[in-house]
Amino acid sequence: MAPVPMPSALTFELLGKCSVTKARAATLILPHGPVPLPIFMPVATQASLKGLTPEQLEDQGCKLCLNNTYHLGLKPGQATLDAIGGAHKFQSWPHNILTDSGGFQMVSLLKLAKVTEEGVQFLSPHDGTPMLLTPEHSISLQNSIGSDIIMQLDDVIATTSPDLARMTEAMERSVRWLDRCIQAHKYPERQNLFCIIQGGLDLDLRRRCTAEMVARGTPGIAIGGLSGGEEKDAYCKVVDTCTGLLPEKKPRYVMGVGYPEDLVVSVALGADMFDCVWPTRTARFGNAITHQGVLNLRNAAYAEDFGPIEDGCECICCRSQEIGGLGITRAYIYHVTAKETVGAHLLTMHNVYYQLNLMKRVREAIMEDRYPAFLRKFFRQLHDDKSKYPNWAVDALRGVGVDLMSD
Amino acid sequence: MTDPASLSHLSDLPPEMLEFTILKSTTALAPRLGRVSLPGRKDILTPGFLGNTSRGAIPHISQDNFRKCVGLNGIYVPIEDFIEKMPHQTPPVFQINGSDPLRRFIALPKDRLLVLGARRNPPIPSPAANTNTEVALLTSVGFRSMSSEYYTAAARKLQPDIVVGLADIPFGQEAVGTRRKDKMSDRTETWMRDLIAKRNTIDKEESRYSIFAPILPIERDLQSWYLEHLVDDMADKIQGVGIYDSFLLDSLPEELHHLPRLSFDTPSSPQALLRQIDLGMDLFTVPFISDASDAGIALNFTFPAPRKFSDEPNSRQSLGIDMWQTEHALSMTTLTETCKCYACTKHHRAYIQHLLSAKEMLGWVLIQIHNHTILDSFFAGIRHSIENGTFEEDFTDFNAYYEPTLPEKTGQGPRVRGYQFKSADHGKPAKKNPKAFRQLNGEVKLHAIHGQQPNKKPEVGDMIDDAALVGLIDIEYMGPEIGVEGLDLKDHKA
Repeated sequence: MAPVPMPSALTFELLGKCSVTKARAATLILPHGPVPLPIFMPVATQASLKGLTPEQLEDQGCKLCLNNTYHLGLKPGQATLDAIGGAHKFQSWPHNILTDSGGFQMVSLLKLAKVTEEGVQFLSPHDGTPMLLTPEHSISLQNSIGSDIIMQLDDVIATTSPDLARMTEAMERSVRWLDRCIQAHKYPERQNLFCIIQGGLDLDLRRRCTAEMVARGTPGIAIGGLSGGEEKDAYCKVVDTCTGLLPEKKPRYVMGVGYPEDLVVSVALGADMFDCVWPTRTARFGNAITHQGVLNLRNAAYAEDFGPIEDGCECICCRSQEIGGLGITRAYIYHVTAKETVGAHLLTMHNVYYQLNLMKRVREAIMEDRYPAFLRKFFRQLHDDKSKYPNWAVDALRGVGVDLMSD
Repeated sequence: MTDPASLSHLSDLPPEMLEFTILKSTTALAPRLGRVSLPGRKDILTPGFLGNTSRGAIPHISQDNFRKCVGLNGIYVPIEDFIEKMPHQTPPVFQINGSDPLRRFIALPKDRLLVLGARRNPPIPSPAANTNTEVALLTSVGFRSMSSEYYTAAARKLQPDIVVGLADIPFGQEAVGTRRKDKMSDRTETWMRDLIAKRNTIDKEESRYSIFAPILPIERDLQSWYLEHLVDDMADKIQGVGIYDSFLLDSLPEELHHLPRLSFDTPSSPQALLRQIDLGMDLFTVPFISDASDAGIALNFTFPAPRKFSDEPNSRQSLGIDMWQTEHALSMTTLTETCKCYACTKHHRAYIQHLLSAKEMLGWVLIQIHNHTILDSFFAGIRHSIENGTFEEDFTDFNAYYEPTLPEKTGQGPRVRGYQFKSADHGKPAKKNPKAFRQLNGEVKLHAIHGQQPNKKPEVGDMIDDAALVGLIDIEYMGPEIGVEGLDLKDHKA
C-alpha cells in the first residue's frame, strides 16, 4: 500500500553517528521541548514517579517520562482527564510525556484478556464486568491524556511463544490496528503516533512488519514485544535487524528495556529510546545502580559504609553537603530503606539520575566518535574480569564491529 | 522574670550555649513569646514547633524537600531510632568519625537546631519496666533497654544541640503507685546528674550540648525532691525543660521559669496546642501533622480563625479536608485557599485525590508538605496574637469556629511499622482534667506485636502492606522474580 503522508509533531536532528557501531546521537524536538537522544525514560505509571515530585524528577535531568494509558484510563479516568485538560496539567509536568497504548498491561496484568480482531477483551479490575479496548479507544484515551508521543495498540504476545501462526496473526493484526489508530488519531499535529513493530523472535516476520509499518510514515517507530524473558542473543538480533531497515531520520524506541548493559548494547545496535520500571522499582527494594553493578543497600554489609551511594556520582543524594548535595551515605540508605518512604525517594532519585547520566555520557561519546572505547570502559567497570562479560553482549557488539575481548 | 543569678552563670558558659530570650510574658500561667537561639543555627521563635522525625527524616519528606519545601528551623530526633544493633553491636551512627556525626548522617542542614531525646514522640509503651539504671525503648527490631551511661555517651558522641534528659516514666501504665512515683523522681534525678557530669568531661573547645531537664507527669509534691535539686544544684547547668504534662506547668518552680519549655504532652488537635500555649508552653513536636498526612487529611485552619458568618451560627468548620473523598477528583483548586506551600502552588486537589486513591507515595509527600506549612502559619499567627495581646479572645473564637477534633480518617495510610504506632487518641477531644498518666500515652494498648494497630473501625484499619510502604502498589505489575517475599523484614520479631 502507498505510504499515507502523516503529519508529525516532532523534529529529529541527527547530530552524530558512531563510525564503527550503529549508534546515533540526536536531538528530538517534541511539543514540550527538546530531548537528547539516546534517552532513557523513567516510568511514572500513574502520573507520578514513585514518590518524587515533578520538580525532583526534573532535578535529575528528566525531560521526557512515561505514563501508562491503562492506569490513567482507570484512574483518574478519561472524563477527569478531559475536564482537567490532559496529563501535563493533571500532574503539573511541564516537559514531555510518552504514553503506551494500554495493550501491554492488558496482556501482562490481566490473565483473562482475550484478543480479537476488534480489540482486547478483559474483565474490569474494579467490578469484573467485561470490557473492550480497541485501537480507537486507546487513541482516544491518549488524545485525552495529551501525551507528546502516543503508541499504537498492538497485539502483544510473549516473544517466547512457539506458535508461529499466532505470532504471524499478531504481527499482521498489529499492522491493521496501526491503520485504525492512524484513522482514529485526532491530533496528529500535536501528538506523535509511533508504530510498534511486532513479530516475535522471527526475523522474517520482523522484516515484513517493519516494511509495512515504515510505509505508514509514523513520526517515530518502536520495536515491541521484547524484554519478555527471551534470550538476549535473540533480542539483539531482532533489534539489529529492525534498525537496519528503519529510516535514519526517525527516532527508534525499544520498549521495556532498562538494564544498563542492555541500554549501551542496544544503542550500539542503533536504538535511541528506552523505558523500564526496573530502576525505580528496584530502588524501592534498596537496590542502587552503580557503574560497578547493582548494590543491595539493605545488606548488613552497608550498615557501616559511610561513603556515598556511588563514589563520584553527582546526584543530589551522593554529592557532599560542601558542594550543595545531601551527602547521603550507603549506611543511611540502609538505615531507612523499607522503613520510611524517604529511603525509597532518595534511592529513586539516585537511580533515575544514574540512568539519565549514563545516557548523557553515551551521547557525548557518540558525538565525539569514541563510543567503542566507551563500551570497553563500561564493561571493564562493571565486570572485574573479562570472563564475566556476558556472551550475548560480546557477540552483539562483535556484530557491529566492537570486540570487547581484544584490547 | 529572669533570675539575675542564673544569668551570671550563663555568661561563664562557652559562647555556643543555647540562649532563650523571653520577648513577652505576663503572668506565670499565660502565653509568652520567646526566641531560642544558638550561634550557627537559625533562631526559633516561640511558641513554635520542631519537626518530629522518624529514622532521621520527617516522614515522607526527603532531605532535599526538607531544604526546599519545609520551613522548619529545628527537629527532634529520638535515639531509639538509631540503636537497634545494640547491645551486641555498636550502632552504625556511633562509628562515624568527625564532628557532628548525627547531623551529617541524617543530612540535616548545618543551620538547623538538632534536639536529641530518648524516645519517639509519642512513645510506644514497652512491656519491660524501667530499672534503676535503664529505660525501656522500642527500636525497629523490638524492645530494648538503654542505660543512662549509654545515653550520656551517645549524647557526647552524637553532638546534638540539645539533649533531653532521660525520664523514668512507665508509659502505658494506667495506675502508678506512690512508691513508683518516688522512684520516678529519684531515677530521673540520678540520670540528669549523669548527663550533666558527662557534659563536664567535654573540653571547652569542643561543642557542648545544652540540656533540657524532664519535668515528670506526677504531682509536684511527689517530685519535689527532684525539683528542689534541679533548682538548687542544677539550675545553672540546664538550658530548658521538657514537660510531660502541661497541666503541671503551674508546679514548675519559679526559678526555672526563664527556661524554654519543650512539650512532651502530645497534643491531639490544634485546640490542645492552644491550651498548652495558653499555659505558657514554648516548643512542641506535633505528631498529629504526620498522622493527618498519613490519613490523607489536608489540614485547613488558621489562627486567628476567620470571622464567623452570622448566618450559620451552629455550623463549625472542619480542621482538615479528607482528600480521599471523590468530590475532589475534578477540583482544580489548591488544598487551602491562601496556602503558599509547594503542594498548593504547584498542584491541585484533583491530582492529590488521585495520588491517594492510586496509593502513590507522592500523595503523602504533598499533604505532608502542606500540613507542615499550615502549622508554620498557625504558630506565626499565634505569636502575632500574643504580641497583640489578643490571644485569649482569638483562642475562644478558634474554639467556636472550628470543630474540636480533626476529621476521622477514612482512607488507608502507608504501612505502619511497629515503631511507628500512633497514639490512638489523636483526633479526640482533649480531656478537661485527665489523670496524669492517661494523657501521656493516650489510649494505646498493644494487643499483640504483630503489626496491627488497634482501630475502632477494623474495616478501615491501617493497611499493613509492605507494598504500600515501598511504593509497590502496582504490585500486579511486577515480575515474578521480585516480590514482597524477597524483603527481609526483621520488624516485630523481637
